[in-house]
Amino acid sequence: MKKLKIKPQKLFNVAITYLIILAVCFVFLFPILWLVLASFSKTGSIYSFEGFFPAEFSLDSFKRLFTDTALYNYPRWFLNTLFIALMSSLIGTALTILTAYVMSRFRFRTRKAMMKTTLILGMFPSFMTMTAVYLMMTQFNLINQQWGLILIYSAGAPMGYLTQKGFFDTIPSSIDEAARIDGASNFRIFVRITLPLAAPMIVYTLLSSFVWPWSDFILPQLLLKNKDLYTVAVGLMSLDDSEFSRFAAGSVFIAVPIVVFYFALSKFLISGLSAGAVKQ
Amino acid sequence: MANLSLKHIYKVYPNGTKAVSDFNMQIDDKEFIVFVGPSGCGKSTMLRMIAGLEEITAGELRIGDVVVNDMEPKDRDIAMVFQNYALYPHMNIYENIAFGLRMRKIPDVKRNKQGGVVLDKAGEPVKVMRRYSKEELDEKVLGAAEVLGITDYLKKKPKEMSGGQRQRVALGRAIVREPKVMLLDEPLSNLDAKLRTQMRSEIVKLHNKLQTTFIYVTHDQVEAMTMGTRIVVMKDGYIQQVDTPKNVYQDPANKFVAGFIGTPQMNFFEGTLWRTGERVEMRFKGSECSVTASYDILGKVIPRYLDGKTPVWIGLRADDITLDTGGGRDGAAIKVKISHTEELGTETLVYGDIDLARDTFGESPTQVILKAAGFKNFQSGDVVDAVLRFENVHLFDFETEESILPRVPKYNYLTCNVREGSMELLGNKLVLPDAMQCPDGEYELLLPVDALSSGGEIEAEVLFSERADGKPLARLNMGGGTLFAPIDAKAGERVQLCVDLKQIALRRDGEEVISPMPLVNSVLGTFALDRVKAARKDGKKGGNVNEYAFVIGGNKYRAPTDVAQKMFAALSGRKAFTAQFRYEFTPYDLKISEHGLPAEVEKVLDYGTEKFAKCKVCGSDFYVCVQGDVRGTICLEPDFEKIGVTETEREIKIV
Repeated sequence: MKKLKIKPQKLFNVAITYLIILAVCFVFLFPILWLVLASFSKTGSIYSFEGFFPAEFSLDSFKRLFTDTALYNYPRWFLNTLFIALMSSLIGTALTILTAYVMSRFRFRTRKAMMKTTLILGMFPSFMTMTAVYLMMTQFNLINQQWGLILIYSAGAPMGYLTQKGFFDTIPSSIDEAARIDGASNFRIFVRITLPLAAPMIVYTLLSSFVWPWSDFILPQLLLKNKDLYTVAVGLMSLDDSEFSRFAAGSVFIAVPIVVFYFALSKFLISGLSAGAVKQ
Repeated sequence: MANLSLKHIYKVYPNGTKAVSDFNMQIDDKEFIVFVGPSGCGKSTMLRMIAGLEEITAGELRIGDVVVNDMEPKDRDIAMVFQNYALYPHMNIYENIAFGLRMRKIPDVKRNKQGGVVLDKAGEPVKVMRRYSKEELDEKVLGAAEVLGITDYLKKKPKEMSGGQRQRVALGRAIVREPKVMLLDEPLSNLDAKLRTQMRSEIVKLHNKLQTTFIYVTHDQVEAMTMGTRIVVMKDGYIQQVDTPKNVYQDPANKFVAGFIGTPQMNFFEGTLWRTGERVEMRFKGSECSVTASYDILGKVIPRYLDGKTPVWIGLRADDITLDTGGGRDGAAIKVKISHTEELGTETLVYGDIDLARDTFGESPTQVILKAAGFKNFQSGDVVDAVLRFENVHLFDFETEESILPRVPKYNYLTCNVREGSMELLGNKLVLPDAMQCPDGEYELLLPVDALSSGGEIEAEVLFSERADGKPLARLNMGGGTLFAPIDAKAGERVQLCVDLKQIALRRDGEEVISPMPLVNSVLGTFALDRVKAARKDGKKGGNVNEYAFVIGGNKYRAPTDVAQKMFAALSGRKAFTAQFRYEFTPYDLKISEHGLPAEVEKVLDYGTEKFAKCKVCGSDFYVCVQGDVRGTICLEPDFEKIGVTETEREIKIV
């Protein structure tokens, strides 16, 4: 066998690249790793942590998370979060996709103005509106209501329609026109042609609009006062200092649905379904 | 299976760009029409307007007898094939073809569970709309697939197919619905050269088989020439010429068409024409040589170009220039300096220059491309004799670039003598009516060809007769002069002619002494909303009804509803009230009446058989057909159903 000759310059470049990647990975993964390790720790209190690895490993924290529900009802919180996130994701996706489709395909008078406004509004952090949102929710009697949160999440979702619009823009309008000539109405074109072609985008939207309510802390903290209605994020924050390993276990477990969703839907995320429609 | 009628169609974008201007055309059933032109000429826009994908700014589009301006594409019964195929990528080929059928409902009679026809109270079968059944779909889709040879691919997805196959699917999707009109938007431009030639003949075959109207858009003049029964050459939104491929090739209407159609491009030379007796001498700018041609060939050339001074474009195709192989023909050879050659196998294209001092490989106004047979050795720099064949010469005005050698001449250019109220024309005497009296002397006479008809007093001999543009055209000899007239006669016959004196013009020293009667009267005005009290039958006080009115000279005249609607459509609503319009009426559509447009009669023109009053209406000259004598102020009541409306700012003819 011939020995592969690697030029020193090239080796240096590769080494540098990998070093940077490793450094970035470490920065990102260290807190996660630490949290995962902490969740397997036997001692509960945050003050008992000395060093990176826990003194003793056990699955106690996970067990207690689901059995010891008298004071901290984790399963309940989990279901609350799942309900809110699922509903927000479904409604939000529907609204986002419709908004993006309209912005991409139709030309109407205020279109440009609306696009600019949403772009500017999107630059402000969402908690700037906290006071206003709280007051409004009080008026509508939606404090301590899961639907209040769902309303805020789904209504806010279309603000980020730009990615979806960009995707619709790549579907050639001649396909729509062909369908129009074939006799399809705008709604039928949307349902029969555009939606199937946009499947990867819909999955992406579902996932991204699921993640926000799933991991959001500020809004539920603001609007949910009843402990039984808590979402996981709020619930975990309400844990006592001595329950740190339980907090860690709860945080690790909350990542499970996202991972499951991601893997289940990843095959749809591969775009390029529209290949072969038209010759570019 | 329908004819199309396109009248004064415009497309103006909101930013003011005119994509299509005054598009007029009649398309007969089963025609294969090709829109051809360089990119940006408006041909695709026009097609999309016919399809209903683009709104029509102004004008009227009929498919069959129905005005379809505001009709949805699906209701127009058309099918369209796109340049990029536009197949539905997530459906297989069968579903792609069947989609259009699935979207439609067909009329049927209601049936009960046993399959019997359900009758209503009157004993008539109950009519219902239903979707296609699976069997019907199968039959139609398979039928279309068979015609196009794609039966084997029905289960495949578009992305698994090649470009040619995909275009076939797109054609299948179009023909399966059996549309009245097939629209094809550059369907072959994404295919490679070989496949394109193959698909070209397949589309022509398909047209023969389907026997339906095809409208085909392309920028490729070869496709246009080979496929169309008629070609529409467009440039900058305007139609340049509509004709059969043969006529477009042989008689281009202007220099643009001449240069666009045919490869290699037609040679254009700047030059002058000088008639001496029966010969016409041509001089080319940049060349020492001059050639002469027989006047017989150039008989239709407008005489003022034959003075040896007016510059013209002389166009000759490469086929009509051959290399002289010794001897040469009388007076038709010109010296050409060869710059380079292109071997094409059967023939050689020789690039040269008639300006022997020039040494160019690039574009030059004196460049010439000619064809030589087979492989021949030419050295660049050689000077050869090229023989010009004038049978197919094309001549264009230097400024307007319009053809000055038209197939159907518009005017006869003659001279005449006027003496004591009658006109002496080529040995015949015509009495001038009162309206046309002018001082004695010699005049130039502009006699429109259409002003001549058979059956009259003057006699002429037919020299030659032909049919051009579907109408007869005869070249006549009358008292030693040549005349063209649209009459049907055989060569050698003697015919009687009648002249419509209204249409002739007499000129002296470049000044028009007698002008032809204008056929349209036009006046500027605006458009307004006119609220009128609604008359209610029960006698109660009614509300207001919106009526629309033409405002001419401060007076309001009620506008017919359909005209008003067209004006609104053309100016997107309220702008119609601020725009200015030119209203047009023919002299025959104006009646003298109690009310109407106030007009000041200036004089009455007596043309013998007809009388016209020349009047002033709001500062514009109006001619009105009248009986008897009128004077003073009269009122003219126009027939508003026949009004012509043009928006002046963008020059859009609305009605």
